[in-house]
Amino acid sequence: MKKSLLAMVAALSLGLGGGAQAADTVKIGLMAPLTGSWASEGQGMKKIVELLAEQQNAKGGVLGKPIEVIVEDDGGDPRTASLAAQRLTTKGVAAVVGTYGSSVTEASQAIYDEAGIPQIANGSTAIRLTEKGYQKFFRTAPRDDEQGRMAAQTIEKLGFKKVAILHDSTSYAKGLADEANALLKKKGVEVVFFDALTPKESDYTAILTKLKGANPDVVLFTGYYPEAGLLLKQKKGMNWNVPFIGGDATNNADLVKIAGKAAEGFYFLSPPQPQDLDTPDAKAFLADYQKKYNELPPSIWAVLAGDGFRVAVAGIEGAKSADGAKSAGYLHKDLKNFPGLSGSIAFDAKGDREGEVYRLYKVDADGNFVMQKK
Amino acid sequence: MPASGISPISPIHSASPLVEEFLQQLTNGLAVGGIYALIALGYTMVYGVLKLINFAHGDLFTYGAYLGLTLLTSLALTDRLGFALGVLVLVLMVMGLVAVLGAILERAAYRPLRESPRLSAVVSALGASIFLQNTLMLIYGARFQVYPDDILPTATLNVLGLYVPLMRVLIVLASVGMMVALYLFIQKTRIGAAIRAAAIDQGAARLMGIDVNRVILLVFLLGPALGGVAGLMVGLYYGQVNFTMGWVYGMKAFTAAILGGIGNIPGAMVGGLLLGVIEALGAAYVSIAWKDAIAFVVLILILIVRPTGLLGERVADKI
Amino acid sequence: MNRLTLSVVALVVAVLPFAPLFLNTYQVDVLNSIGLYALLALSLNLILGEAGLFDMGHAAFYAMGAYTAAILNTHYQIPILWTLPLSGLAAGAFALLVARPVIHLRGDYLMIVTIGVGEIVRIALVNDVFGITGGANGIFGISRPKLFGWVIRRPEEFFYLIWGFVALTIFLFLRLKQSRFGRALNYLREDEVAAEGSGIDTDAYKLAAFGLGAAWAGMAGTLFAAKMTIISPESFSFWESVMLFMIVILGGAGSVLGVLLAAFLVIGLPELFRELAGARMLVFGLVMMVMMVVRPQGLWPAQTPRISLAALTGARKP
Repeated sequence: MKKSLLAMVAALSLGLGGGAQAADTVKIGLMAPLTGSWASEGQGMKKIVELLAEQQNAKGGVLGKPIEVIVEDDGGDPRTASLAAQRLTTKGVAAVVGTYGSSVTEASQAIYDEAGIPQIANGSTAIRLTEKGYQKFFRTAPRDDEQGRMAAQTIEKLGFKKVAILHDSTSYAKGLADEANALLKKKGVEVVFFDALTPKESDYTAILTKLKGANPDVVLFTGYYPEAGLLLKQKKGMNWNVPFIGGDATNNADLVKIAGKAAEGFYFLSPPQPQDLDTPDAKAFLADYQKKYNELPPSIWAVLAGDGFRVAVAGIEGAKSADGAKSAGYLHKDLKNFPGLSGSIAFDAKGDREGEVYRLYKVDADGNFVMQKK
Repeated sequence: MPASGISPISPIHSASPLVEEFLQQLTNGLAVGGIYALIALGYTMVYGVLKLINFAHGDLFTYGAYLGLTLLTSLALTDRLGFALGVLVLVLMVMGLVAVLGAILERAAYRPLRESPRLSAVVSALGASIFLQNTLMLIYGARFQVYPDDILPTATLNVLGLYVPLMRVLIVLASVGMMVALYLFIQKTRIGAAIRAAAIDQGAARLMGIDVNRVILLVFLLGPALGGVAGLMVGLYYGQVNFTMGWVYGMKAFTAAILGGIGNIPGAMVGGLLLGVIEALGAAYVSIAWKDAIAFVVLILILIVRPTGLLGERVADKI
Repeated sequence: MNRLTLSVVALVVAVLPFAPLFLNTYQVDVLNSIGLYALLALSLNLILGEAGLFDMGHAAFYAMGAYTAAILNTHYQIPILWTLPLSGLAAGAFALLVARPVIHLRGDYLMIVTIGVGEIVRIALVNDVFGITGGANGIFGISRPKLFGWVIRRPEEFFYLIWGFVALTIFLFLRLKQSRFGRALNYLREDEVAAEGSGIDTDAYKLAAFGLGAAWAGMAGTLFAAKMTIISPESFSFWESVMLFMIVILGGAGSVLGVLLAAFLVIGLPELFRELAGARMLVFGLVMMVMMVVRPQGLWPAQTPRISLAALTGARKP
């Protein structure tokens, strides 16, 4: 037995090998939560990036070489992410797409930066990620402060006077809630409730009962779609007809699946969905995705990973080099009005996405997400 | 945290808003607690007989929810048999399947470790839990699975000005009913007596002609069956199921079992309902964000005063 | 220990210091991760393995140390490695404080209390308790450690810091195991009543084990904070405590070498299974289960000290 154990340890140390082999491909890394709580996002990211790589390769790849996508699981956890990042750096990737959670991305930023690899995050909206001066960090996701501004604006425009804000204590939702809270108070809108629910539970009636006691005109929920779906459903079960506004993490097809009819009238903010863009790229992509996987992309975040991949390819093509510094330089300076799946893309000096990205959506009686006029 | 101002609600209700909110929160807590209690029974029964904390029990609960969904949608039971009969058949099928799963788990992961240090079985249970969870993820995918939402009656009862959805009442009644049935089974039948005997002293029970292996098997059929039904009820009522849900519910149920005194069947029921109520009232009157911490603080305080839980025997048992 | 194992251990000890020379940065970083968890698991082993106290909330003490170090470093600019003793003290003192009223609880009841403490600490961190933990964002901008004027930055450099600390820990804990204190802990783990009857103040010994184990976890937390430069509550979840618990039991409770071996497996295997992508945790769970079933006493159980009869009778002769 002991011998077999030792054999296992030996196998372990060997198996961790498999260093960089010099093949004639351009490697693009994808760091995504394939396991753990955000596995559904991570698997969506993987599907989209693999599909796009396939299509790009059919068109001849990049720099005349086929693209090889190397996917590493970050488990939605900072420590695993730092290992995934180290692993990708040893595989000679030209750029990395990902990842979803802000603190998970943060744990990997320095590693890619020191290795000279451009990183394009897709779901990480925390403000500080682009405030550190990393020259090769980009994100296709908008920042929390922009969304906070948009949320406050929307609430004011729709004429609500008493707002309840509910988040879920994740850094994303808390950040957005704080941002919106400060702006609303400045605008003179009364915030009658501010607290956090515990994600991943099934019964939120206790919280809804308390919310109802505060008697708001509208509830701003900054957390994620599973909880949003349950809140809507259980709110309806209580016969309470207050409108809900959600942040972009509620933009997920499963929201309507969970809430059913109760989703009708729900507002949320989000970058435009591919089906609402009239660019041929977005339309073709959506059709191909449905054809290949027989479903819609799980969320806008997965689509933004697709945009990250396209931008990475554009950077390499534009710079005519797989060198990280060159392609990052191209993305900063020369990439303008790039037709992304989520609208036009350009990056500012910090690596943030330029332009106003957010739109207001409303769920109609059939459960469709309908983009509202600006 | 800003104080949540209680504003006047329409004057139709006779009770004052404060009392009404309290009662509403109490029913909210009881509904959640009923589910905790059902799952806690599985923990406590296994513990009673084997002194093992079956950390994979929460995942059996998840399997109940997923199996229920698959059977419901593939067999269209409620369409063919009507709501009441359809759900009844569904409950029986889920109970049976999850019970078999529980028995397999016992055979594969716990029986080989019965004579080993207790904690080895705990680690085996944790491994089994990871395995079961990820198997589900690979089969169904990581996205949320959703029960069809048009099969349940949506009636809402108006009891003294409180809105209580009919389904909630049914769920509480069903869980209490199952718990009472189990209690009577353990207390009044010969098989129940065998289970109790094995829980007190396996060696002596064996000498009295009780087949302890069969008792253990039975416990691993009953506990998972109840856990599976709890999963089905959560799926039916809340509508969404996820492959990691067993981890959250399992932890709560384990807490509930300890709160009531692990190994003690009425204790699991009391502990489950109490934990649900503590959570609801903690969220309502202290802080929503600190809800789970409050529940644990209450648990620790109770354990300081009563070291073996509310209804646990106070014998200095060997550990 | 037979000769084969002895030679393998000697080989590993001889080769490990040179590992960074022939491994790539990723592989070295996996070793760093293993080293950190080995430290944590060794500290838990003191509580769970030596004293037999079911602690499934060890991440709380780890978090306590990491946050103490991070706060002292970012607010008061104290060099991160100087905070080692302070974070150890903070974690140890916190452990004594929470363990004091519950130390007499029986096994599983103590287990849920430690789980509860772990969750309370995590929730407190998420909710930005006292306004100093940064909430869910955590604390970022922790400075790199400096040792004798050398800034430790690359995984290869951390390797020597972490594994140096592991080596020191192994040395100290092996000594501790053979000391009067260590033997008293083993005694009360095997039979508390008898130990008490022999004049051992069981509560005091249990508390001491708890405090020492927690303090060590706190120091491991400092190293973690120094390595990551950002810490957030999700690194100290219940799952971390569960992994540490699995490492100790899988290795063989009370066995220093077993715990080290298990740290290699529990942290290393998910990395080894990376090729399996989404299925890697499934295989990992299965392997855990199978290893436990095959080796119920742990992979490398602690040896019971044998005293030969001859020595005993010899001692009795005048």
